[in-house]
Amino acid sequence: MMDSRVNPRILLAKSSLDGHWRGLNVVSRALRDAGFEVIVIGMATSAEIVGAALEEDVDLVGLNVGGRVEAVERIVGELRAAGCDAPIFAGGTIAPSAAKRLNHLGVETYPPGSALGDIVAAARRLTEPAP
Amino acid sequence: MPERELDRPRRTISGIELNPSYNGADLPGDFDHSQSPGKPPFARGGFELGYRSKLWRIFQLSGFGNPEDEGERIRYLLEKGETGYIMEHDRMTADHLYDVDHPDVSARSEDVGLSGAVILSVHDFLLVLDGIDIGAYFAHPGGAVPQHAPFALAGFWTAAQRRGFDISKLIGTGQSDFFLTYVGCPPKEQIPASAALRLNVDIVEFCAAHVPRWVPVSIAGYNGADSGLNAYQELAAVMSCAVAQIDAVVARGNLPPAQVAHYLSGVNFRVSMDLMEDIAKLRTARKMWHDLLTRRYGITDERALRMRIHVVTAGSAMTYQEPMNNIVRGTLMALASMLGGVQSLGVSGYDEALSIPSETAHHMSVRIQQILQEETGLTAVADPLGGSYYLEALGAELEGRAWEFFEAMENQGGFISCLDSGWIHEIAGANQIAIEEQLLTGERRRVGVDVHRIEADPFEVDGFSGVDDVYERAVERLAKLRRSRSAAAVGGALRELDVACREGNNVMPPMMEALAAEVSLGEVGAVFRGAFGQWDSPIDLV
Repeated sequence: MMDSRVNPRILLAKSSLDGHWRGLNVVSRALRDAGFEVIVIGMATSAEIVGAALEEDVDLVGLNVGGRVEAVERIVGELRAAGCDAPIFAGGTIAPSAAKRLNHLGVETYPPGSALGDIVAAARRLTEPAP
Repeated sequence: MPERELDRPRRTISGIELNPSYNGADLPGDFDHSQSPGKPPFARGGFELGYRSKLWRIFQLSGFGNPEDEGERIRYLLEKGETGYIMEHDRMTADHLYDVDHPDVSARSEDVGLSGAVILSVHDFLLVLDGIDIGAYFAHPGGAVPQHAPFALAGFWTAAQRRGFDISKLIGTGQSDFFLTYVGCPPKEQIPASAALRLNVDIVEFCAAHVPRWVPVSIAGYNGADSGLNAYQELAAVMSCAVAQIDAVVARGNLPPAQVAHYLSGVNFRVSMDLMEDIAKLRTARKMWHDLLTRRYGITDERALRMRIHVVTAGSAMTYQEPMNNIVRGTLMALASMLGGVQSLGVSGYDEALSIPSETAHHMSVRIQQILQEETGLTAVADPLGGSYYLEALGAELEGRAWEFFEAMENQGGFISCLDSGWIHEIAGANQIAIEEQLLTGERRRVGVDVHRIEADPFEVDGFSGVDDVYERAVERLAKLRRSRSAAAVGGALRELDVACREGNNVMPPMMEALAAEVSLGEVGAVFRGAFGQWDSPIDLV
């Protein structure tokens, strides 16, 4: 399926009930400019994130984090339990210790100050078809 | 990066091209060499003696966790020398007017209490305020968000009454700001902006009658600026927001324009790392306020014409990388605020990009301000930079651009229309992208981020993770509340509130009755949602 798609598809969601949209605006724009198909669902519960990831059959899940790491860990767990094996990356307010915990789960983290170019490069690398 | 430093564009964040130097020829044509602080149009400051007569208020955002945690942090700050206090409310519950067991809150139970304390009823206000002398300090009890403000103010005032205080003597401020939730951080559900405007009118009229020393609402340009509006756009949007509110209160016919303007004259701005532009902005803000009120409304009362400014330093300027560097940034932005002549100041925590402020970050935010007040000598002379060729030229340029932008907003149908249509969000969003591009090209640089970057932070700051029993304890408090109060009294109070909402009567008297009857936050939310419906947000990202 992934091979036949021209542009990889990325889901962007906010893990917390917090409407700040500056990060989503900047990152979604950069990813679209780089050729990705970006689906932004904004503030969503874990169930909504899982539902959208499966329904849209996305190649990558991006979580905009504004809350506690435990909530993000739960979302990651629910995605995996539901059979979504798309890679996950996360940006936003992620303290170093929280980043470590997410990295341990295989989630790449891009805290404030990350270069947009690095985020785009990560999206390319994470959506490359397996050799 | 530009190849040669000389080729680097030198513009303010607003895009004003800067000369390598300025001289007397750059002063505006109508520059008045005899103008003094404390005299109209107040560009040079609202008060003749500046900080000799009164230092600015040290006023930090604070709060997290359980009500008791928030109270403890506020008492900590007051002990360190904070001279007013701000109660932060949990964003998920307060901004949305949801009880803690609302499905959208319990679906994210881990996050509850991270952005402020969970305050669901008058009991929770009393828990926060335990051990705080309510009569002694200038208070901001919450209600940053218009739909939350009536509950937050009534909750605080009712708690004060239960503690034996006469609310007609209390000092403090409301907020009810449109920039936070209608521009920068929209909740999932909120009442339409036009309904919010009506609630603000109710609050102003209620304060005039019952809490006369209170600042009823406070426009917060900060939230527009940190969402992307540049300096002259922030100035213009604040003036446009003021016009919408003054017109709405005056249209009710109960209060004269001068009194209304006085109630709205406590205004908030953001100060960022573009220091000179933001010093110019604060001085220009006071002049524009004076000119707006005299020209548009014919107001002559100097109490109304003198804008009082609260600044919050830019959270977005604080870097994740090497957070201790943010103590320097906080100091510089605080200095700029002081040079701009503010009456009140909050300095973002050095761990702002990682978390809500830790105790040590809060400690530093207070100490930065105290060092400026006590050690620098800068409090001796009002408006120390007045007459600077550069600053005065920049102020005049900002003023011209701001009035143009103000006219553009009026041509869009005024402030509320600019929110409803998404016009202001388009501009803010485009500016957000432009700032990223300037970082990319090296026109703008952040030490430790874009330049002089190192891999590991030598100070190993990890931010503050709050407390983790907040959701469970809030659910317990809510259950206890529902068991202990009179269901008949609650039902009656909510019906009265609903009638006031629908029939256009002032919502504040029934809101006070409702808080006294121990209604919960979510019950007020249900009434508001039923009566006012929902804002059709033009922001499609969240």
